[in-house]
Amino acid sequence: MIAVIGLVVGVVAGLLLQPTVPLELQPYLPIAVVAALDALFGGLRAMLDGIFDDRVFLTSFLSNVVVAALIVFLGDQLGVGTQLSTAVVVVLGIRIFSNAASIRRHLFKA
Amino acid sequence: MTSRHGDAPGTRRPDASMTLITEFYRRPLDPGYALAAERRAAGGSAPRRRFGAAGMLALALVLGLGTTAATAALRHPVGQVSEARRVLESQITERGDEAAELQQQAMDLNKEIAAMQADVLGAASGPLAESLAAGAVEAGSVAVEGAGLRVVLTDAPSDDPDAEDPDNRVQDIDLQVLVNGLWGAGAEAIAINGQRLTSTTAIRSAGSAVLVDLVALSSPYTVEAIGDSVTMQTELARSSTGQLLATLRTTYGIGVDMSSARRLSLPGAGLTALRSASVPEDARLPEPAQDAPSGSVSSGSAVVTGSAGRAGGGGR
Repeated sequence: MIAVIGLVVGVVAGLLLQPTVPLELQPYLPIAVVAALDALFGGLRAMLDGIFDDRVFLTSFLSNVVVAALIVFLGDQLGVGTQLSTAVVVVLGIRIFSNAASIRRHLFKA
Repeated sequence: MTSRHGDAPGTRRPDASMTLITEFYRRPLDPGYALAAERRAAGGSAPRRRFGAAGMLALALVLGLGTTAATAALRHPVGQVSEARRVLESQITERGDEAAELQQQAMDLNKEIAAMQADVLGAASGPLAESLAAGAVEAGSVAVEGAGLRVVLTDAPSDDPDAEDPDNRVQDIDLQVLVNGLWGAGAEAIAINGQRLTSTTAIRSAGSAVLVDLVALSSPYTVEAIGDSVTMQTELARSSTGQLLATLRTTYGIGVDMSSARRLSLPGAGLTALRSASVPEDARLPEPAQDAPSGSVSSGSAVVTGSAGRAGGGGR
Protein backbone atom coordinates (compact mmCIF):
# COMPACT_ATOMS: atom_id res chain seq x y z
CA MET A 1 0.00 0.00 0.00
CA ILE A 2 2.90 2.27 0.74
CA ALA A 3 3.71 2.51 -2.96
CA VAL A 4 0.16 3.54 -3.85
CA ILE A 5 0.10 6.18 -1.11
CA GLY A 6 3.47 7.52 -2.24
CA LEU A 7 2.33 7.58 -5.86
CA VAL A 8 -0.88 9.43 -5.03
CA VAL A 9 1.01 11.97 -2.91
CA GLY A 10 3.50 12.39 -5.74
CA VAL A 11 0.75 12.98 -8.29
CA VAL A 12 -0.95 15.52 -6.05
CA ALA A 13 2.38 17.25 -5.43
CA GLY A 14 3.01 17.29 -9.18
CA LEU A 15 -0.38 18.86 -9.82
CA LEU A 16 0.19 21.50 -7.17
CA LEU A 17 3.85 22.31 -7.82
CA GLN A 18 3.67 22.15 -11.63
CA PRO A 19 7.33 21.24 -12.04
CA THR A 20 8.84 21.83 -15.48
CA VAL A 21 10.46 18.98 -17.33
CA PRO A 22 13.93 19.70 -18.76
CA LEU A 23 13.80 20.29 -22.49
CA GLU A 24 16.25 17.45 -23.21
CA LEU A 25 13.80 14.93 -21.74
CA GLN A 26 10.81 16.15 -23.77
CA PRO A 27 11.11 13.59 -26.62
CA TYR A 28 10.91 10.69 -24.17
CA LEU A 29 7.82 11.87 -22.31
CA PRO A 30 5.06 10.35 -24.46
CA ILE A 31 6.52 6.86 -24.37
CA ALA A 32 7.38 7.18 -20.69
CA VAL A 33 3.80 8.13 -19.89
CA VAL A 34 2.47 5.17 -21.88
CA ALA A 35 4.87 2.89 -20.00
CA ALA A 36 3.72 4.36 -16.70
CA LEU A 37 0.11 3.72 -17.73
CA ASP A 38 1.00 0.11 -18.46
CA ALA A 39 2.56 -0.28 -15.01
CA LEU A 40 -0.48 1.36 -13.41
CA PHE A 41 -2.91 -0.98 -15.12
CA GLY A 42 -0.73 -3.94 -14.24
CA GLY A 43 -0.71 -2.85 -10.60
CA LEU A 44 -4.46 -2.38 -10.58
CA ARG A 45 -5.01 -5.81 -12.04
CA ALA A 46 -2.64 -7.39 -9.55
CA MET A 47 -4.50 -5.63 -6.78
CA LEU A 48 -7.80 -7.09 -7.99
CA ASP A 49 -6.14 -10.47 -8.38
CA GLY A 50 -5.02 -10.15 -4.79
CA ILE A 51 -1.35 -10.53 -5.55
CA PHE A 52 -0.34 -6.86 -5.46
CA ASP A 53 3.17 -6.23 -4.27
CA ASP A 54 4.67 -2.80 -3.58
CA ARG A 55 8.14 -3.77 -4.60
CA VAL A 56 7.14 -5.40 -7.86
CA PHE A 57 4.84 -2.54 -8.68
CA LEU A 58 7.51 0.13 -8.15
CA THR A 59 10.24 -1.81 -9.92
CA SER A 60 8.04 -2.51 -12.91
CA PHE A 61 6.95 1.12 -12.98
CA LEU A 62 10.50 2.43 -12.87
CA SER A 63 11.95 -0.09 -15.29
CA ASN A 64 9.07 0.38 -17.73
CA VAL A 65 9.61 4.13 -17.87
CA VAL A 66 13.39 3.86 -18.06
CA VAL A 67 13.40 1.13 -20.70
CA ALA A 68 10.81 2.94 -22.80
CA ALA A 69 12.83 6.16 -22.69
CA LEU A 70 15.99 4.19 -23.43
CA ILE A 71 14.40 2.56 -26.48
CA VAL A 72 13.32 5.92 -27.84
CA PHE A 73 16.79 7.33 -27.17
CA LEU A 74 18.44 4.38 -28.94
CA GLY A 75 15.99 4.66 -31.82
CA ASP A 76 16.74 8.34 -32.17
CA GLN A 77 20.45 7.61 -32.26
CA LEU A 78 19.92 4.93 -34.91
CA GLY A 79 17.50 7.01 -36.95
CA VAL A 80 14.53 4.71 -36.35
CA GLY A 81 13.10 6.64 -33.43
CA THR A 82 9.54 6.88 -34.72
CA GLN A 83 9.38 3.23 -35.75
CA LEU A 84 10.69 2.04 -32.38
CA SER A 85 8.26 4.36 -30.62
CA THR A 86 5.45 2.77 -32.62
CA ALA A 87 6.67 -0.70 -31.66
CA VAL A 88 6.77 0.23 -27.97
CA VAL A 89 3.32 1.79 -28.14
CA VAL A 90 1.89 -1.30 -29.84
CA VAL A 91 3.38 -3.68 -27.27
CA LEU A 92 2.40 -1.58 -24.28
CA GLY A 93 -0.99 -0.90 -25.82
CA ILE A 94 -1.70 -4.63 -26.11
CA ARG A 95 -0.73 -5.09 -22.49
CA ILE A 96 -2.84 -2.17 -21.33
CA PHE A 97 -5.80 -3.51 -23.27
CA SER A 98 -5.63 -7.04 -21.92
CA ASN A 99 -5.03 -5.79 -18.38
CA ALA A 100 -7.98 -3.45 -18.73
CA ALA A 101 -10.10 -6.37 -19.99
CA SER A 102 -9.03 -8.42 -16.99
CA ILE A 103 -9.89 -5.54 -14.65
CA ARG A 104 -13.26 -5.24 -16.33
CA ARG A 105 -13.91 -8.96 -15.76
CA HIS A 106 -13.02 -8.50 -12.10
CA LEU A 107 -15.23 -5.49 -11.58
CA PHE A 108 -18.29 -6.39 -13.62
CA LYS A 109 -17.92 -10.15 -13.66
CA ALA A 110 -18.45 -10.05 -17.39
CA MET B 1 10.75 -18.75 -19.17
CA THR B 2 8.92 -21.66 -20.71
CA SER B 3 8.86 -23.59 -17.49
CA ARG B 4 6.83 -20.80 -16.01
CA HIS B 5 4.14 -21.38 -18.57
CA GLY B 6 3.89 -24.94 -17.46
CA ASP B 7 4.94 -26.35 -20.83
CA ALA B 8 6.77 -29.58 -20.84
CA PRO B 9 10.31 -28.89 -22.02
CA GLY B 10 11.03 -30.61 -25.28
CA THR B 11 7.52 -30.57 -26.76
CA ARG B 12 7.54 -28.06 -29.53
CA ARG B 13 4.48 -25.86 -29.58
CA PRO B 14 2.77 -25.27 -32.92
CA ASP B 15 2.81 -21.52 -32.51
CA ALA B 16 6.41 -21.32 -31.40
CA SER B 17 7.16 -18.62 -33.89
CA MET B 18 4.56 -16.37 -32.28
CA THR B 19 5.91 -16.69 -28.75
CA LEU B 20 6.20 -12.97 -28.32
CA ILE B 21 2.61 -12.19 -29.17
CA THR B 22 1.22 -15.22 -27.36
CA GLU B 23 3.19 -14.20 -24.32
CA PHE B 24 1.62 -10.82 -24.40
CA TYR B 25 -1.91 -12.07 -24.84
CA ARG B 26 -1.71 -14.85 -22.33
CA ARG B 27 0.19 -13.13 -19.61
CA PRO B 28 -0.09 -9.38 -19.76
CA LEU B 29 0.53 -9.10 -16.02
CA ASP B 30 4.08 -8.79 -14.86
CA PRO B 31 5.12 -12.30 -13.75
CA GLY B 32 6.85 -10.66 -10.82
CA TYR B 33 3.52 -10.25 -9.07
CA ALA B 34 2.86 -13.98 -9.19
CA LEU B 35 6.40 -14.73 -8.03
CA ALA B 36 6.11 -12.32 -5.10
CA ALA B 37 2.77 -13.83 -4.16
CA GLU B 38 4.27 -17.30 -4.28
CA ARG B 39 7.14 -16.16 -2.08
CA ARG B 40 4.71 -14.59 0.35
CA ALA B 41 2.69 -17.78 0.43
CA ALA B 42 5.86 -19.69 1.16
CA GLY B 43 6.37 -17.44 4.18
CA GLY B 44 9.64 -15.76 3.30
CA SER B 45 9.66 -12.01 2.81
CA ALA B 46 13.40 -11.53 2.87
CA PRO B 47 13.81 -9.48 -0.32
CA ARG B 48 11.50 -6.77 0.98
CA ARG B 49 13.98 -5.77 3.66
CA ARG B 50 16.52 -4.88 1.04
CA PHE B 51 14.39 -1.98 -0.11
CA GLY B 52 13.03 -0.40 3.04
CA ALA B 53 9.64 1.24 3.45
CA ALA B 54 11.06 4.78 3.35
CA GLY B 55 12.96 4.09 0.16
CA MET B 56 9.86 2.70 -1.48
CA LEU B 57 7.81 5.69 -0.41
CA ALA B 58 10.43 8.04 -1.81
CA LEU B 59 10.61 6.12 -5.07
CA ALA B 60 6.81 6.13 -5.36
CA LEU B 61 6.78 9.87 -4.68
CA VAL B 62 9.37 10.55 -7.35
CA LEU B 63 7.60 8.34 -9.88
CA GLY B 64 4.24 9.98 -9.24
CA LEU B 65 5.74 13.43 -9.42
CA GLY B 66 7.65 12.62 -12.59
CA THR B 67 4.67 11.08 -14.34
CA THR B 68 2.45 14.01 -13.44
CA ALA B 69 5.07 16.46 -14.61
CA ALA B 70 5.48 14.54 -17.87
CA THR B 71 1.73 14.46 -18.45
CA ALA B 72 1.42 18.14 -17.67
CA ALA B 73 4.31 18.94 -20.01
CA LEU B 74 2.68 16.89 -22.75
CA ARG B 75 -0.63 18.64 -22.33
CA HIS B 76 0.80 22.13 -22.73
CA PRO B 77 3.23 22.07 -25.66
CA VAL B 78 0.60 23.63 -27.93
CA GLY B 79 0.37 26.54 -25.53
CA GLN B 80 4.13 26.94 -25.43
CA VAL B 81 4.37 26.88 -29.20
CA SER B 82 1.65 29.45 -29.62
CA GLU B 83 3.30 31.60 -26.98
CA ALA B 84 6.63 31.48 -28.80
CA ARG B 85 4.77 32.34 -31.97
CA ARG B 86 3.13 35.30 -30.33
CA VAL B 87 6.47 36.57 -29.08
CA LEU B 88 7.92 36.27 -32.57
CA GLU B 89 4.92 38.02 -34.07
CA SER B 90 5.19 40.88 -31.63
CA GLN B 91 8.90 41.13 -32.41
CA ILE B 92 8.14 41.29 -36.13
CA THR B 93 5.61 44.09 -35.73
CA GLU B 94 7.90 45.89 -33.31
CA ARG B 95 10.81 45.79 -35.74
CA GLY B 96 8.49 46.75 -38.60
CA ASP B 97 7.32 49.81 -36.68
CA GLU B 98 10.90 50.68 -35.88
CA ALA B 99 11.85 50.40 -39.54
CA ALA B 100 8.86 52.52 -40.58
CA GLU B 101 9.84 55.13 -38.01
CA LEU B 102 13.41 55.23 -39.26
CA GLN B 103 12.15 55.42 -42.83
CA GLN B 104 9.97 58.38 -41.86
CA GLN B 105 12.93 60.00 -40.16
CA ALA B 106 15.02 59.52 -43.28
CA MET B 107 12.25 61.05 -45.40
CA ASP B 108 12.04 64.04 -43.09
CA LEU B 109 15.78 64.56 -43.20
CA ASN B 110 15.69 64.22 -46.95
CA LYS B 111 13.02 66.89 -47.12
CA GLU B 112 15.17 69.09 -44.92
CA ILE B 113 18.11 68.55 -47.23
CA ALA B 114 15.96 69.41 -50.23
CA ALA B 115 14.75 72.58 -48.53
CA MET B 116 18.31 73.61 -47.68
CA GLN B 117 19.37 72.89 -51.22
CA ALA B 118 16.53 75.03 -52.54
CA ASP B 119 17.59 77.77 -50.13
CA VAL B 120 21.12 77.74 -51.35
CA LEU B 121 20.16 77.53 -55.00
CA GLY B 122 17.35 80.02 -54.54
CA ALA B 123 19.43 82.93 -55.74
CA ALA B 124 20.83 81.05 -58.67
CA SER B 125 17.53 79.69 -59.99
CA GLY B 126 17.01 79.15 -63.65
CA PRO B 127 18.97 76.49 -65.51
CA LEU B 128 20.73 75.00 -62.45
CA ALA B 129 17.51 74.51 -60.45
CA GLU B 130 15.76 73.21 -63.54
CA SER B 131 18.37 70.60 -64.26
CA LEU B 132 18.36 69.63 -60.60
CA ALA B 133 14.58 69.11 -60.69
CA ALA B 134 14.84 67.08 -63.87
CA GLY B 135 17.61 65.02 -62.32
CA ALA B 136 15.53 64.40 -59.22
CA VAL B 137 12.64 63.09 -61.32
CA GLU B 138 14.97 60.88 -63.30
CA ALA B 139 16.66 59.60 -60.15
CA GLY B 140 13.26 58.87 -58.65
CA SER B 141 13.99 60.75 -55.45
CA VAL B 142 10.89 62.98 -55.63
CA ALA B 143 7.23 62.10 -55.99
CA VAL B 144 5.80 62.57 -59.45
CA GLU B 145 2.32 62.71 -60.93
CA GLY B 146 1.06 62.28 -64.42
CA ALA B 147 -0.82 60.18 -66.89
CA GLY B 148 0.42 56.71 -67.56
CA LEU B 149 -0.10 53.00 -67.76
CA ARG B 150 -1.09 50.61 -65.01
CA VAL B 151 -0.31 46.89 -65.30
CA VAL B 152 -1.61 44.54 -62.63
CA LEU B 153 -0.10 41.04 -62.40
CA THR B 154 -1.97 38.55 -60.20
CA ASP B 155 -0.88 35.07 -59.12
CA ALA B 156 -2.86 32.30 -60.75
CA PRO B 157 -5.77 31.20 -58.54
CA SER B 158 -5.01 28.01 -56.68
CA ASP B 159 -7.24 25.64 -54.73
CA ASP B 160 -4.53 24.28 -52.51
CA PRO B 161 -2.21 26.94 -51.12
CA ASP B 162 0.19 24.27 -49.80
CA ALA B 163 0.86 22.54 -53.09
CA GLU B 164 1.22 25.71 -55.04
CA ASP B 165 3.32 25.54 -58.17
CA PRO B 166 5.87 28.37 -58.21
CA ASP B 167 5.38 28.54 -61.96
CA ASN B 168 1.83 29.79 -61.36
CA ARG B 169 3.03 32.70 -59.29
CA VAL B 170 4.35 36.01 -60.49
CA GLN B 171 8.10 35.76 -60.20
CA ASP B 172 10.81 38.34 -59.96
CA ILE B 173 11.91 37.66 -63.54
CA ASP B 174 8.39 38.48 -64.82
CA LEU B 175 8.43 41.83 -63.06
CA GLN B 176 11.99 42.50 -64.24
CA VAL B 177 11.04 41.85 -67.86
CA LEU B 178 7.88 43.94 -67.56
CA VAL B 179 9.72 46.87 -65.94
CA ASN B 180 12.52 46.77 -68.50
CA GLY B 181 9.91 46.64 -71.24
CA LEU B 182 8.20 49.70 -69.79
CA TRP B 183 11.50 51.61 -69.55
CA GLY B 184 12.19 50.61 -73.12
CA ALA B 185 8.71 51.78 -74.17
CA GLY B 186 9.42 55.24 -72.88
CA ALA B 187 8.25 55.25 -69.28
CA GLU B 188 9.52 58.19 -67.29
CA ALA B 189 8.89 56.83 -63.80
CA ILE B 190 7.82 53.40 -62.55
CA ALA B 191 6.58 52.12 -59.22
CA ILE B 192 5.58 48.62 -58.14
CA ASN B 193 2.99 48.48 -55.35
CA GLY B 194 4.02 51.98 -54.35
CA GLN B 195 7.76 51.21 -54.39
CA ARG B 196 9.39 53.70 -56.70
CA LEU B 197 12.01 52.21 -58.99
CA THR B 198 15.31 53.97 -59.38
CA SER B 199 18.42 53.12 -61.30
CA THR B 200 19.72 51.15 -58.33
CA THR B 201 16.52 49.27 -57.49
CA ALA B 202 16.79 45.51 -57.41
CA ILE B 203 13.85 43.20 -58.12
CA ARG B 204 14.60 39.81 -56.66
CA SER B 205 12.79 36.92 -55.09
CA ALA B 206 13.23 35.53 -51.60
CA GLY B 207 11.28 32.36 -51.12
CA SER B 208 7.76 32.97 -52.36
CA ALA B 209 7.97 36.73 -51.97
CA VAL B 210 9.23 39.22 -54.50
CA LEU B 211 11.55 41.83 -53.07
CA VAL B 212 11.59 45.26 -54.66
CA ASP B 213 14.33 47.32 -53.08
CA LEU B 214 14.45 44.81 -50.19
CA VAL B 215 10.75 45.37 -49.45
CA ALA B 216 8.71 42.17 -49.72
CA LEU B 217 5.66 42.54 -51.94
CA SER B 218 2.91 40.06 -52.66
CA SER B 219 0.32 39.51 -55.35
CA PRO B 220 -1.34 41.46 -56.89
CA TYR B 221 1.58 43.46 -58.22
CA THR B 222 0.53 46.84 -59.54
CA VAL B 223 3.14 48.30 -61.87
CA GLU B 224 2.49 51.95 -62.54
CA ALA B 225 4.44 53.77 -65.23
CA ILE B 226 4.17 57.43 -66.05
CA GLY B 227 4.48 58.28 -69.71
CA ASP B 228 2.48 58.25 -72.89
CA SER B 229 0.17 55.29 -72.28
CA VAL B 230 -0.76 54.77 -75.93
CA THR B 231 2.86 54.65 -77.07
CA MET B 232 3.86 52.46 -74.16
CA GLN B 233 1.04 50.01 -74.82
CA THR B 234 1.89 49.62 -78.49
CA GLU B 235 5.60 49.41 -77.79
CA LEU B 236 5.00 46.76 -75.12
CA ALA B 237 2.77 44.74 -77.43
CA ARG B 238 5.40 44.82 -80.15
CA SER B 239 8.31 43.86 -77.93
CA SER B 240 9.14 40.53 -76.36
CA THR B 241 7.56 41.77 -73.14
CA GLY B 242 4.18 41.51 -74.79
CA GLN B 243 4.90 37.92 -75.70
CA LEU B 244 5.90 37.16 -72.14
CA LEU B 245 2.70 38.70 -70.77
CA ALA B 246 0.64 36.68 -73.24
CA THR B 247 2.47 33.49 -72.22
CA LEU B 248 1.92 34.25 -68.53
CA ARG B 249 -1.76 34.72 -69.17
CA THR B 250 -2.41 31.72 -71.40
CA THR B 251 0.03 29.11 -70.09
CA TYR B 252 0.25 29.85 -66.38
CA GLY B 253 -3.08 31.52 -65.72
CA ILE B 254 -1.45 34.62 -64.25
CA GLY B 255 -3.76 37.60 -64.35
CA VAL B 256 -2.47 40.42 -66.57
CA ASP B 257 -4.57 43.54 -66.52
CA MET B 258 -3.39 46.59 -68.45
CA SER B 259 -5.17 49.91 -68.25
CA SER B 260 -4.25 53.50 -68.93
CA ALA B 261 -4.72 55.99 -66.14
CA ARG B 262 -5.11 59.70 -66.51
CA ARG B 263 -3.55 60.53 -63.20
CA LEU B 264 -0.98 58.40 -61.44
CA SER B 265 0.95 59.62 -58.45
CA LEU B 266 4.16 57.80 -57.70
CA PRO B 267 5.98 58.33 -54.42
CA GLY B 268 9.60 59.33 -54.28
CA ALA B 269 12.14 56.68 -53.48
CA GLY B 270 13.37 58.82 -50.64
CA LEU B 271 17.02 58.51 -49.86
CA THR B 272 19.60 58.95 -52.50
CA ALA B 273 23.14 58.09 -51.56
CA LEU B 274 26.04 60.08 -52.87
CA ARG B 275 28.23 57.49 -54.52
CA SER B 276 30.63 59.53 -56.56
CA ALA B 277 31.20 63.18 -57.30
CA SER B 278 33.66 65.12 -59.36
CA VAL B 279 34.51 68.70 -60.18
CA PRO B 280 33.12 69.75 -63.55
CA GLU B 281 35.65 70.86 -66.13
CA ASP B 282 34.46 74.46 -66.26
CA ALA B 283 33.84 74.83 -62.56
CA ARG B 284 35.54 77.64 -60.77
CA LEU B 285 35.91 77.04 -57.08
CA PRO B 286 34.16 79.87 -55.25
CA GLU B 287 35.91 81.81 -52.54
CA PRO B 288 34.56 80.42 -49.25
CA ALA B 289 34.11 83.79 -47.59
CA GLN B 290 32.19 85.78 -50.18
CA ASP B 291 30.00 82.97 -51.47
CA ALA B 292 28.39 81.72 -48.27
CA PRO B 293 24.93 83.13 -47.56
CA SER B 294 25.10 81.85 -44.01
CA GLY B 295 27.67 80.02 -42.00
CA SER B 296 25.79 76.79 -41.47
CA VAL B 297 25.19 75.93 -45.11
CA SER B 298 28.43 77.25 -46.54
CA SER B 299 29.81 73.79 -47.07
CA GLY B 300 26.65 72.78 -48.92
CA SER B 301 27.09 75.50 -51.50
CA ALA B 302 30.62 74.53 -52.36
CA VAL B 303 31.12 72.05 -55.15
CA VAL B 304 31.84 68.68 -53.68
CA THR B 305 35.25 67.47 -54.61
CA GLY B 306 36.57 63.95 -54.71
CA SER B 307 34.51 60.83 -54.32
CA ALA B 308 32.21 60.15 -51.44
CA GLY B 309 31.11 56.71 -52.41
CA ARG B 310 29.00 54.49 -50.21
CA ALA B 311 27.57 57.31 -48.15
CA GLY B 312 24.61 55.66 -46.47
CA GLY B 313 22.16 53.31 -48.12
CA GLY B 314 24.93 50.79 -48.59
CA GLY B 315 22.46 47.96 -48.69
CA ARG B 316 21.31 48.61 -52.21
